[in-house]
Order: sequence, then C-alpha cells, then structure tokens
Amino acid sequence: MVMKYFRRAYSSFAAHVFDIPPRFMAFLFFITLSLIPLSGLNPYYLNILIYANILAIFSASWDLLVGRTGQISLGHALFFGIGSYSTALLSTSFGLPVWITIPSAILIGSLAAVLVGFPSLRVKGPYLALVSMAFPLIIWRIIKWAPLTPIFGGEYGIRGLPRFFPLVLPQLRVAEYYLSLVLLFVTSIIIYKIANSKTGIVFVSILDDELASKACGINVTKYKLMSFIISGLIGTLTGSVHAHLFSRTSTPANFELTLSFLPIVVTFLGGIGTIYGPIVGAYIYSILDKYFLTDLLPKLLRDNLRMTLPSEFEYAKFLIFSLIVLILVIKWPRGLARFTTDKLEDLEEARDLDERGPRIWKRYKKKEKK
Amino acid sequence: MIEEIIISGAIAGAVYGLLALGFTLIYGVSGVVNLAHGSLYMLGAYMFYVFGTLGFSGSEPLLASFLALILAVVFVGIVGSIAYRLTIHPVIGDEVAVMVVTVCLALIFQQLVMSIFGTSFPPVRWPEGSFLLISTSILGVTVQYSRILAFLVSLGLFFSLLVFITKRKIGKAMRAVSQDREVAMLMGINTERLYMLTMALSAMFAAVAGILITTSTTMSAGAWMWLHPLALSFSIVILGGLGSIKGSLIGGFILGYAEQIVAIEVPEGGAIVGVVPLVVMVAVLLLRPKGLFGKRIEMEE
Repeated sequence: MVMKYFRRAYSSFAAHVFDIPPRFMAFLFFITLSLIPLSGLNPYYLNILIYANILAIFSASWDLLVGRTGQISLGHALFFGIGSYSTALLSTSFGLPVWITIPSAILIGSLAAVLVGFPSLRVKGPYLALVSMAFPLIIWRIIKWAPLTPIFGGEYGIRGLPRFFPLVLPQLRVAEYYLSLVLLFVTSIIIYKIANSKTGIVFVSILDDELASKACGINVTKYKLMSFIISGLIGTLTGSVHAHLFSRTSTPANFELTLSFLPIVVTFLGGIGTIYGPIVGAYIYSILDKYFLTDLLPKLLRDNLRMTLPSEFEYAKFLIFSLIVLILVIKWPRGLARFTTDKLEDLEEARDLDERGPRIWKRYKKKEKK
Repeated sequence: MIEEIIISGAIAGAVYGLLALGFTLIYGVSGVVNLAHGSLYMLGAYMFYVFGTLGFSGSEPLLASFLALILAVVFVGIVGSIAYRLTIHPVIGDEVAVMVVTVCLALIFQQLVMSIFGTSFPPVRWPEGSFLLISTSILGVTVQYSRILAFLVSLGLFFSLLVFITKRKIGKAMRAVSQDREVAMLMGINTERLYMLTMALSAMFAAVAGILITTSTTMSAGAWMWLHPLALSFSIVILGGLGSIKGSLIGGFILGYAEQIVAIEVPEGGAIVGVVPLVVMVAVLLLRPKGLFGKRIEMEE
C-alpha cells in the first residue's frame, strides 16, 4: 500500500526530471561548479575538486577507447606518464614556458599513441589487453634504470616544474581550479561531438561487431587507430596538466599499474560508454578518497571515539575501492550512475503504460512477478 | 660465461614455464585471462612464510619446510577456487569484466598483504643448515641445490600435467571443454565444477612457482613481487600462444635464456631484466600475432 504511493510519487518526480533536457542539466552542472570558488572555500578542498576534474578528463579518455570503441586497454598510464615526463623534461632542461611545453607534450603523446597503436591493432581481445598493459611497464622500468638517472632522475623523478600562474596561494588555487574546469568542459564537448558524429557511430559499431563493420566496408584499422590517437591525446593532456598542478614533479609512479587501473575504477563508478559517467565517477571517487577517508573519517574518529587510524589504513583505502569496483562489476556491470538512469527510464516506461492502460499495466506487472 | 648462461637459463626457463603453465591452463579451459595469477604467486610465497613460522617444532626443519610448502600450495589452491567462484564466475564470458575483476582481485590481494605485513619483507627461504643451501658445481658453474630442486620439480610437474591431461578422465574432460564447451556439456561434463578445479590447479602451479623462485633467488617476499611474475607469465603465454601447454614451456625457456643473457652481458643489466620479457613479447607479436603455438583465437562466430 505504502509502496504504491511511494512509487507514484517517485514516478511523478522522475517525470519532472525527464522534462529537463540533458543539455540544460549539463549547463546547470557546470554553472554550479564554476560558482563554487566564489563561496570562499578552503584551498585544500579546492585541490580535491581540481583533482576530480583532472581525473574525470583522464577517465573520459579511457572510456572513449574502451567504452566506445571496445579496444580493451589496461595500460592507460602510458599516456599520463608520457605527458608528465615530456612536459617536465622540456620545461626543466630547456626552460620553456608552460604554454609551449604542454602542446608539445600532447604532440609527443599522439606520436606515442601511433607507435603503440600499430602493434596493438594486429591483435585483439585478451592479447590486446595484455600488450597494452606491457607498454607502461616497459617505460616504468627503463625510467628507473640506473644509467639513465641523469636524464629521468631515477626513483625520485624530475622536480621543480614551473606553475601555471605566478600568483599567491588562495588566488592561485582558484585560477588553477578554473583552468581545470575549462579543460573538463572543453574535453567533454569534444568527446560529446565525436561520440555523436559519424566517427562516433563507427566506433560503437566496432565495439558491437567488428566483423559486421568490416563487411559494411568500414576501414576498421583506420578508425581504431583514430580512437587510439584521440584517447592518447587527451590522456597526455591530463598527464602534463597534472604534473604542473600537483607537487610539480614527474615520478615513475606516473607509469604504475595502479594509475592504469584508476580510470577503470572511476568509469565503473560512473558508467561505461557515457559522457557523464567518468565525471560523476571522478567526483564520487575523489570526494570519497580525498575528503571522506583522509579527512572526515579520521577527524570523526578522533573527536568522538578518541581513536586514531593505524598507518596501514593508507593501504586499506585502495582495498576498499577495489572491493567496491568488484561488487559493482559483478552486480551492475554498466556502472552505478548508468544503472540509476536505466532504472529511471524503466520507471518512465512504466509511467507511460500506467497512463495508457492501467489494466494492461496490471496484467504486465502480474506476469513479471510470476 | 657461456656455461653460466646455459645452466642458469635452463633453470630459470623451467621455473618460468611452470609459472606460465597455470596461466595458460585456465585460459585454455575456461577462456579466463587471470590477471591475478601473479598475486597467487605472491600469496604462495607469503603462505610458505606463515606456515613456516607456525613451526612444526620437534620435527626435522627441512621436513617442516616441505610440510609448509604443501600446506601453502593447498591453501592457495583453495583461495583460487573460492575467488573464482565468488568473483569470476558471475561475469564469465564478458572479457572486459573478467579482466577488470581479476585486476581487482590482484590489487585486493596486494593491499591485504600490505595491511597485514606492513612494509616489512618476510624471509622466504629453506631452513638454515639444510643441504638445499649448499652449492655444487656443474660444468664449472656453482649452483645451489635449491635451484636444482626448482628445475627438477618444475619439469616433473610439467610432465605430470601432460600425463594427467592425456590419460586421466578429468584431464580428458578439460581438453574436451577447451575444444567445445557446449558439446562437452552435452556429454555430461559438469563444466562449472571443472572450471573451479582448473582454477585450483592453476593457482597451485602459481604457488609452487612462487615458492620455488623466491627461495632460490631473492629469499624474501614483498607486496610488489607479483608484478614481475605476472608480466613474465603473460609474456611467456603470448609468446607460446594462449592456451597451448607446450608453448608455455618453450616460451619459458626462450625468456629464461633471454633474461640471463641480458643480466650477464649488459652492464647494470640486473635492473633492466624486467623489460626483457615484455620487449620480446611485443617483438614476437609484431611478427606473429597469434604467438608461436596459439590456438584459441580468431574464433569468428
């Protein structure tokens, strides 16, 4: 009885939500985000949001390759690391300004995408995943190799990258926040445009059935390589921007497997093969990780229970995320946000049925219960 | 120089073959790319340490060590099959999901080990004073008995698996499932149970390889030790062809020799040895996309 009213209230709410066009929702989202710094938020919390924006772009680039084209890549850290190291090398050894080093890093990254893409295109399925995983591991080892320490700085990496803006701290963080937000906005629009163009449709057709796309006369190799290059380009951009924004160092950690795995976590939190998925996932992930687990939870425990978390908790954090993703993949393989929207669409369909013919709907419902 | 490369390459090759055997077995039978294989290797080494410190006191230390080995291997086998049942089984058939799930498993094992053992490096070695730590000389190269044991056990396990898979009923069932799953099911083979069994077997091979390799090389376990064996096993398996048992041994020998040549001939080569299998793998894939003996690919429906 109660459930019935609840469902009716919920479906009417859903109806109102669906009356708002998605474009307006996205616009509203970005407006809200751009108003946040005006509230005088602590620079520390702004940091979290900057991190979320960067992570969202990185995950979106992974999602373009895997969620839309179906080329399983388990080594996306390659592009992140290449972006980070090329901008670091250019700016520290040649003293070039940021506005030159980042575009050149992107150029290097797309070159790397071509180099990696060619051997990867010859293989598919599990072979492709394993090969893509190998590339960042190779570079990770080479960078840490002792004879190359004068160039790459060995275990500690390259330090002392220049900042984007010569400002003092609070204004600096605000300016950097707007920079990351603009980047997120622009890349989201680019990915949206690509996904809705003919190219994007071809990408999805390759994901659905490669053989059928080939039979339709599509040059599958060309489109796969294109997907690789676009994805690598955006991935490199995030790597280089991240290197200038956070701690201003490039370390071998930028090639680690954990970083390759991060976009997978984020995309599965949000929803695979969507525009909003990586953004929602990145915000959930960074707020959970950087705010809730590192800031709020220890503080609450200390104030209320006089308890301090052991230092091993640092490792347990990623354990929690791995568990969450494990459960998500098994339970809702299309991601959390996508699951919710699918549910809402189902409800909308049910509402339509409800309006058209209550009797048919009841019969349908009974059948479903059986 | 040449003798050293020949002997240590052969030992490394045999053990690497054993490591890749489990990886190729589970792929060949069920089509699962188990990226947690390196973690099972790590778990084997850690469990050997744990069961070793429990100490079956009063008995012979070497005997206790062997008992710890058997217990650790059985434990890892059980963990592998439980992990298969709980996590991989619900998503089987979806390649991306299986890989994501197994990477998750690998990271979970790593973080678990990190949060239990901290950043310490527990010793994984044969007991002091046993004959396994004594060195002997073959062709003028000094070799520890533990490495000879690793070589012999690896080859022994490899050939017993070959016999098992061709002569025993369950082995035949495994081959039948790998050839055609539906027909095998129609013949009355319980594929689910068979997959669990195969996973347990594959995990046990990983654990044995973990214990043998760790006791004869670094002699200590660490939370990051799973990465190199994982890279090794998938390079070997791609080199030999996914799902080919013969290929895994031959690939193991190729990479064993390649690694030893780099480690001995290149200056400061010890640190860059980890790159060798990956580079060899990429080079082979450029020439032969299916690996040397690959079978179960290019399955167009």
